[in-house]
Amino acid sequence: MQSSGIQVLFEGANLSRLLGGLWVTLQIALISIAISAVLGVLFGIVMTSKSRVVRAVCRIYLEAVRIIPILVWLFIFYFGVTKALNIHLSGMFVSVLVFSLWGTAEMGDIVRGAVQSLPLHQREAGRAIGLTELQVYRYIIIPQAVRRLLPAAINLATRMIKTTSLVVIIGVVEVVKVGQQIIESNILNFPTASLWVYGLIFLLYFIICYPISLFSKRLETRWQS
Amino acid sequence: MKKLKQWIAAALAGVLALGVLTGCGQSGGSSSGSLESIKERGTIRIGVFSDKPPFGYIDSNGENQGYDVYLAKRLAKDLLGDESKVEFVLVEAASRVEYLQSNKVDLLLANFTVTKERAEQVDFANPYMKVALGIVLKDGGITSVDQLKGKTLAVNKGTTAETYFTENYPDINLLKFDQNTETFQALKDGRADALAHDNTLLFAWANENDGFEVGVSSLGSHDTIAPAVKKGNDELRSWVNDELAKLGEEKFMHKNYQETLLPYYGDDIDPEDVVVEGGALE
Amino acid sequence: MAENKTILRISGLTKKYGDVTALEGIDLDIREGEVTVILGPSGCGKSTLLRCMNGLEKIAQGQIEFDGRVITAEGTKWPEIRQKIGMVFQSYELFPHMTILENILLGPLKVQKRERAEAQQQAETLLDRVGLLHRKDSYPRELSGGQKQRVAIVRALCMRPQLMLFDEVTAALDPEMVREVLDVMLELAKQGMTMAIVTHEMEFARAVADRIIFIDEGKITEISTPEEFFTHPKTERAQRFLNIFHFETDDFRKEV
Repeated sequence: MQSSGIQVLFEGANLSRLLGGLWVTLQIALISIAISAVLGVLFGIVMTSKSRVVRAVCRIYLEAVRIIPILVWLFIFYFGVTKALNIHLSGMFVSVLVFSLWGTAEMGDIVRGAVQSLPLHQREAGRAIGLTELQVYRYIIIPQAVRRLLPAAINLATRMIKTTSLVVIIGVVEVVKVGQQIIESNILNFPTASLWVYGLIFLLYFIICYPISLFSKRLETRWQS
Repeated sequence: MKKLKQWIAAALAGVLALGVLTGCGQSGGSSSGSLESIKERGTIRIGVFSDKPPFGYIDSNGENQGYDVYLAKRLAKDLLGDESKVEFVLVEAASRVEYLQSNKVDLLLANFTVTKERAEQVDFANPYMKVALGIVLKDGGITSVDQLKGKTLAVNKGTTAETYFTENYPDINLLKFDQNTETFQALKDGRADALAHDNTLLFAWANENDGFEVGVSSLGSHDTIAPAVKKGNDELRSWVNDELAKLGEEKFMHKNYQETLLPYYGDDIDPEDVVVEGGALE
Repeated sequence: MAENKTILRISGLTKKYGDVTALEGIDLDIREGEVTVILGPSGCGKSTLLRCMNGLEKIAQGQIEFDGRVITAEGTKWPEIRQKIGMVFQSYELFPHMTILENILLGPLKVQKRERAEAQQQAETLLDRVGLLHRKDSYPRELSGGQKQRVAIVRALCMRPQLMLFDEVTAALDPEMVREVLDVMLELAKQGMTMAIVTHEMEFARAVADRIIFIDEGKITEISTPEEFFTHPKTERAQRFLNIFHFETDDFRKEV
């Protein structure tokens, strides 16, 4: 029974399974992105500390997250920590944890770069009108830094969304894995299933990521005018 | 300034610590896969594949299916009284051992080929399936390996097929590829006269591709495929062995073959090339 | 001037950057309503002195009193002090993400917690006085350098400071814009604002100053009236400093 591949999408519960997988992808990505955005700003500010020790610790964290692949981090937390401490961490939880650790590190570095690219005098001008340090960050440094880091942050967010497909290694079944399952189990009756399934997944990713980049473009033009 | 940063650093550390603690709160995985703890829990956690038909895959309705799954359900039924008492944990080839080692599954039925190296990491029960090398080629060609001399054979790099033919049949020209798709493509477009691979894969492939047949169905030494338990879990391992022996009496694996593998392999294949009944090779 | 009360008193101030001494043993009183112009060759420490006055630089020794309080002690709440000491920088340092009005109102609203209506009215009055009321909703990048610097002055004034510090505020400006800024400062001086000014505009210094402070190599070497300083400088170093400006002028004339 070899039929047109597009039917595979509507076979049984396939479509809702794919959408369910997408929801898993979205949950992991959006929660991690939200956590990374908040902690990343704080981490970025800490990274600009005058203390060498604090900076070194930050650097070690950042480099560790960068050098060790996400896949390995997932392994470490899902299997390693479980083995070492004899506790059970759910795959979803570990996914959000690892992606937040990664996002915070990368976001922090982006924030650090943006903060350091601001002229020192902007801080002094803020201090000179009596703003406290916290107010200087809130009203002067962060609003300006955010404008500068937006393109890089959006890039990071879309990278995070796409990288979520790695979580399958710790048993979290997200949209790409559901796709593989459908393709593999239909290899006999729908040989062209892969084309349609991956086509749909592409479309779904596009539907998620495109509004984000559209939104960032709008913000950028608004801030420029 | 300094104070502010210290404060932020402390907050960050706090949030991370909280995260880990929350994670700990979800604790609940039993520390051992002993029969008692499985019965206490009421479900047996079995690691299976979700995208390796016909052994472990998920059908269009989202249900686990396949040769491994069929056996897993029966084990659950015999241990806990109902085949729904199995919790399927979907594993990946790259991390399946870790699932056992970190107590995330009690038993692994993930088309796990027994090797010496793996036996150091997990304990294998008796086999329920076997695999050997097979050769696939255009219909009506060859029925013995000797006829391949001077011809071109496609194999995957780094597989048993490559080693076997390099050592035993130096007269056969080998065409080596990294990916399955490339290897099969070479056979299809005639760059290779024949292709050697695991027979279990070839049976399904030949069944789907008209004009090709498995000329040599079993070659070289057999590898066996067996359930695996965590290293040292002798209790569960011997229960599985007893169970396999018992199931052998009712030819359960042959029934399994009929249900799960036959639709993929077709009628031309002899079930004895694949099935291991009662946990023992003949 | 002698009858006016001292608003800022610096005594024995020493400032170091690592091992380098930037300022040494500075004693200086700034009295209410007085315009003090600080002159000196580049790198002599005059900007540093100004920045010490509102705590942008930490001092190594000595103390500064402001309005009768020692403000260089441990635990000084600088944000509080700085509300009363306005500062204008060479590079304007308007906040680019805010409109002119938002720039000016940030301090009054967020630091002084004043009513918006009242603060905005003051801001608009001040903007009007420097001729920029019509630009209140513009962003800094839409303004010329001279306009930006006038806004920066208004921003500082809107905090109702008791003392204004001007750190080479015309140094980054194109020549034709220098005047519009200096005029604003002259006007302020006339109104009796207490000001400490670091500048290289000698004519302006002479016109605006009540007192000239000459700093060389981190030390105050001369305090005198503008008349005295520009006609009969007491030290040979100050004489040389003034000569340089004359020489530059002569040189320039020859070229024309």
